[in-house]
Amino acid sequence: MALASLRDVRFTYAYSDRPALDGITLEIESGMVHGIVGLNASGKTTLCSLIRGIVPHFHKGELEGSVEILGRDLLEWDPAELSRTIGCVFDNPFTQISGIRETVFEEIALGLENLGTPRAEMIERVERVVEQLGIEALVRKNPNGLSGGQRQKVAFASIIAMDADVIVIDEPTSQLDPDATDAVFGIIADLKAQGKSIVLVEHKIDLLAEYADRLTVLRAGRIVTTGAARDVLTSDELIAAEVPVPEVTELSRRLDAIGRPFVRTPITSAEAAAAVSARIQEASNAH
Amino acid sequence: MSTATLAEVAETYRHPESLGNFLRDRNPITLLVALVSLAVVAAAVPGLITPFAVCAVFVLLAFAGGVGPAYTATYLKLWAVVGFILFLLRALLLDGEHVYFTFGNLQVTAEGVYEGLRFAAVVMAICGAVTLFFALVTMRRLMLALEMRGVSPRASYVLLASFQSMTDLGATAKVVLDAQKARGIETEGGLITRAKAFFPVLAPVFLSAMTATEERAIALDARAFNSPAAHSHLVQLPRTATWEWLAAGLFAAVATACVMGRFLGWL
Repeated sequence: MALASLRDVRFTYAYSDRPALDGITLEIESGMVHGIVGLNASGKTTLCSLIRGIVPHFHKGELEGSVEILGRDLLEWDPAELSRTIGCVFDNPFTQISGIRETVFEEIALGLENLGTPRAEMIERVERVVEQLGIEALVRKNPNGLSGGQRQKVAFASIIAMDADVIVIDEPTSQLDPDATDAVFGIIADLKAQGKSIVLVEHKIDLLAEYADRLTVLRAGRIVTTGAARDVLTSDELIAAEVPVPEVTELSRRLDAIGRPFVRTPITSAEAAAAVSARIQEASNAH
Repeated sequence: MSTATLAEVAETYRHPESLGNFLRDRNPITLLVALVSLAVVAAAVPGLITPFAVCAVFVLLAFAGGVGPAYTATYLKLWAVVGFILFLLRALLLDGEHVYFTFGNLQVTAEGVYEGLRFAAVVMAICGAVTLFFALVTMRRLMLALEMRGVSPRASYVLLASFQSMTDLGATAKVVLDAQKARGIETEGGLITRAKAFFPVLAPVFLSAMTATEERAIALDARAFNSPAAHSHLVQLPRTATWEWLAAGLFAAVATACVMGRFLGWL
């Protein structure tokens, strides 16, 4: 079953005269990392909000077209049930902490408390998530005193503890330093390995190239292109949408322009390293 | 922190949370009833001895609760500022027959001094009860106790978040002021200089707080905050013994009797 199925969707926020999404037809499959890219104000966050039901349940507006989440019409979902089914991690680490819990351990357990999880199971799940994310050093700390990167890890831990099969992640690294960014993508890699369905909005295209199975490119609320990550990242539509291509793909394009193309356009640094090694090997064999 | 230590932390949540102090481990509701009852007694019983004695009892209770030095320092400051002003206002403005001395149009009378002392002591007994309660009980434990007695988690969240937002607003204001300072705007110095720097930052501080509130609401929703399921609790308070409820009831009964006695003329 598709995670989300959108047919000719148009959404205009209340008090806005321009649609945030327009003519969106998209199928997001389960069990994959589906990346969403685009310039600012291209509709990425609105698309995430739609999949998560924040639009139109929380942010009101005019919704046209059909949106099905896990086979059920979005408007038929109870918002509370949808919030349990689809986990969500947002871009601002400073507003994802409840502010009412005294320790990180308690903060991670908050979602489980809201679900009425028995205490013994709650403790066990929090312990497991803390170990999984390697944040043992934080459990005693007050969440209000954590850095942005630490808060983002705690936000992830809180959502993972709730064990949703689907997680929508909206620009998780936009306010983080490189180390914290790597840590967050480590978590996303773990979630992917566990078979979770992930919808990921991210500006760092090199990281998306590493982790996304499929990509959708948005511009001014419309889909420019969608498909397998490799196809999208090597397509001209990406450049037309003014979205930066991965550095290694750009390198490949430039080599192509001077008549020295790689056999296969790399989209990740590992693929580029392999291509460069092959090129060096080829050159040394020729000598 | 090693996994063993994580296990230790987890273990603490398997048992009722003890703060290691007899008084602080009491149920916040029974403690609140007892302290409010004492303040009511101080206000209801005529004379000077009872309100002053209640104030002294609060200090003793603070030491018994392990917060004596900090509480005494705060309480003395309250006495020195609020108590003293209240005393002065009554002592200087209340007319009486026994005049001690005169300042221009103001007379200090025996009746004024008595009423000033009593009024200050009663108000300080009420302040003392509130201050002591929050010195002994964290908001989290209070709200947990109230949730156990049927208060909705939503109401509990609103209260806790309101207290936290005061801290957050202060922190945001400091960040904005520091940013202003970095741009060469004078933020330190006399009262007027500081006021000139402070008031313009209020608008951005409150606007950012409103934006943050909306984001926080969505983030809370992602944590199933609106789930219709009965919420469970990670932290448990120690079981409230029957004697504790009885003691709270006794305190309340004594306070009620004092109020009735006052109105019916027994006291």
